Amino acid sequence: MIRLGSVLWMFLAGLSGYAMFQVKYEVAQLDDQLVRIHRETAANQESIHVLRAEWAFLTQPKRLDDLSKRYLALSPIGTAKLGALDATPMRAVKSDPEVTPMQGPTPPTKPAPARLAELSSQVQP
Amino acid sequence: MSASGKPDDNPCQPRHFKPNLCAPAPAEGPARDSLETSHARIVVAAALFCLAFLVIAARLVEVIGFQHGETRLAHLHPVDKIARGRGDILDRNGVLLATTLDTPSLYANPKQVPNPRQTTADLARMIPDLDAKEIYAKLTSDKSFVWIKRQLTPREELEVNRLGVPGLQFEREERRVYPKGNLLAHVTGFTGIDGKGLSGVERGLDDTLRLGQTEILSIDSRLQFILHDEIQRQMDQFSAIGGMGIVMDVRTGEVLALESLPDFDPNNPGAAPRDAVFNRVTLGTYEMGSTFKIFNTAMVLESGVANLASKFDATNPIQIGRYTIHDDHPQRRWLTVPEVFQYSSNIGAAKMALAAGIDRQEDFLGRLGLLRAPKFELPEIGAPLVPSHWATVNLMTIAFGHGMSVSPLQMATGVSAVVNGGKLYPPTLVKHDAANMPVGQQVMSAEISAQMRKLLRLVVTSGTGKFAEAQGYVVGGKTGTAEKVSGHHYDTKELLSSFIGVFPINDPRYLVMISIDEPHGNHASYGFATGGWAAAPGVGHVVERMAPLVGIHPVDENSSEIKQALTIDAPAPEGRKLAAE
Repeated sequence: MIRLGSVLWMFLAGLSGYAMFQVKYEVAQLDDQLVRIHRETAANQESIHVLRAEWAFLTQPKRLDDLSKRYLALSPIGTAKLGALDATPMRAVKSDPEVTPMQGPTPPTKPAPARLAELSSQVQP
Repeated sequence: MSASGKPDDNPCQPRHFKPNLCAPAPAEGPARDSLETSHARIVVAAALFCLAFLVIAARLVEVIGFQHGETRLAHLHPVDKIARGRGDILDRNGVLLATTLDTPSLYANPKQVPNPRQTTADLARMIPDLDAKEIYAKLTSDKSFVWIKRQLTPREELEVNRLGVPGLQFEREERRVYPKGNLLAHVTGFTGIDGKGLSGVERGLDDTLRLGQTEILSIDSRLQFILHDEIQRQMDQFSAIGGMGIVMDVRTGEVLALESLPDFDPNNPGAAPRDAVFNRVTLGTYEMGSTFKIFNTAMVLESGVANLASKFDATNPIQIGRYTIHDDHPQRRWLTVPEVFQYSSNIGAAKMALAAGIDRQEDFLGRLGLLRAPKFELPEIGAPLVPSHWATVNLMTIAFGHGMSVSPLQMATGVSAVVNGGKLYPPTLVKHDAANMPVGQQVMSAEISAQMRKLLRLVVTSGTGKFAEAQGYVVGGKTGTAEKVSGHHYDTKELLSSFIGVFPINDPRYLVMISIDEPHGNHASYGFATGGWAAAPGVGHVVERMAPLVGIHPVDENSSEIKQALTIDAPAPEGRKLAAE
């Protein structure tokens, strides 16, 4: 008859054997993962490097100049349009009778829906 | 482990019998004692082993069950940065100018390729510039190594990999890439097939680049493009054979743009003609013409032999030996120093130089670094051509920029010192860090520098350089039109037309210099191809376009502060001074 103690010890030995292999496999798996991540990191670094070169190539000033002229309605800012913020005059205060506020666009006299209705009636023949 | 004390199953066995493997006979006396001792030892040893196993088991349970989170193992082997042979070259804003890419090259082992006909068709479809016949011949040859194509694009590599044909292999090769193409060809230069720098910064900074160190240049590629664009425009307009230009920070000597046209593609330097590879800005030396009057005037004022009110006789041309010195814009009268400068009078300049003398001229030009080759990061550096024996005729011709050749780079460096308060900064292509700014060397007085700024402004407001004006940026400068030497005489048709501009001249920040090589007058310029026509407008445009980029605000030129800073003091009326007596 196998005694209780022996059973217990055999069970423990089996358990620790199982556990040891379990850990071993886990470590091997992690190791693989690490190698893979290293490889991926290296590949990504390489891609970033290539993309940086590509970006520098695509942003050649000559090319941007051509594209801008072809697709955008932009032109260099004339000197007359440049100025410092300090040089702009302060906004006129309403309560000051000496200063007349700057003339903005005149607001519509009628509320917007009414104006819309009016406009659409004009469109119809 | 022990059976003692328990009743035995065998009734025939005497009660005191203990089985003993070593000694079948029952032991008595001392033997029995030693048996007891060894028994106790076995028990102790077994207990120790049990304990050890328990510890291991407990540790295993802990590792499997309870240990979470990051282990430190991953950090023991950090990912190495990919060792890339050669360092990158960046501009001052971090824009990539040169880098090294690992590119795959495709080769094949024909003995392993199972179906050459199919493989040839596939390859020809994926890589358009392959010759199908040639590939088929290669794949059916009995060699074991044939190149299919060198330096594939990433897309081609992917497609070939997708084919999965055995016998097709890649080999990684390093390749130097200049993504900005022609734009900075003369600055970056290029490397040879073995990755060794052959010209430009690639050669000048080869030692550090080779160690993998990234070099940050003082170049701003945006300004480089502007400069390129404007020089090209002037060249086209005046049907010139070449052009050159430089943008320099007068407070540090940093070169922000450096252009020599025609240029070439550093990605394929083998295809470039010799003329295109020649760097006119640093290697070429030229008789710069009237722009040299900046140095002449500064020298005369600095020496004290004349001041802004002094007058010189420019009525008649000067005859010296077999040369005649005459003016392009003759005034035929006595001229003040500002007038000599403004009308670019050769006669006046020669007379001024005569007043100062050879020693002072040589000394002053030497102090501005014009008599020896400058130290620079480019290996293409031209040494100035200086008269071996400095005679009076040299003194007089050098006054207006003939009889001595310097590179445009030296010109820009010298003029920077003249306008910035008299401090000479060696030119550099490497960006200065803010903590380590260079200390200039005082080569002339700050007062004379201030007077020179006024004179330079005068040329643009009411002299030969009116086309260089950029509204709001207060340009000052000097035109120069030199006749090029062909053989042993000056050719009046082959010119080098230049303009050196500095802005804002009341508080100088940047120098812009453009020279056009052999411009030809056109209808729009009334046949003129002088510096004021061929080069000055280019400088004006460059200033207008670059100022917003470098953060210089336009100002009102007619404001009293600017006027007071730049107007030349009116000479007191002739006659007795009333208050003094």
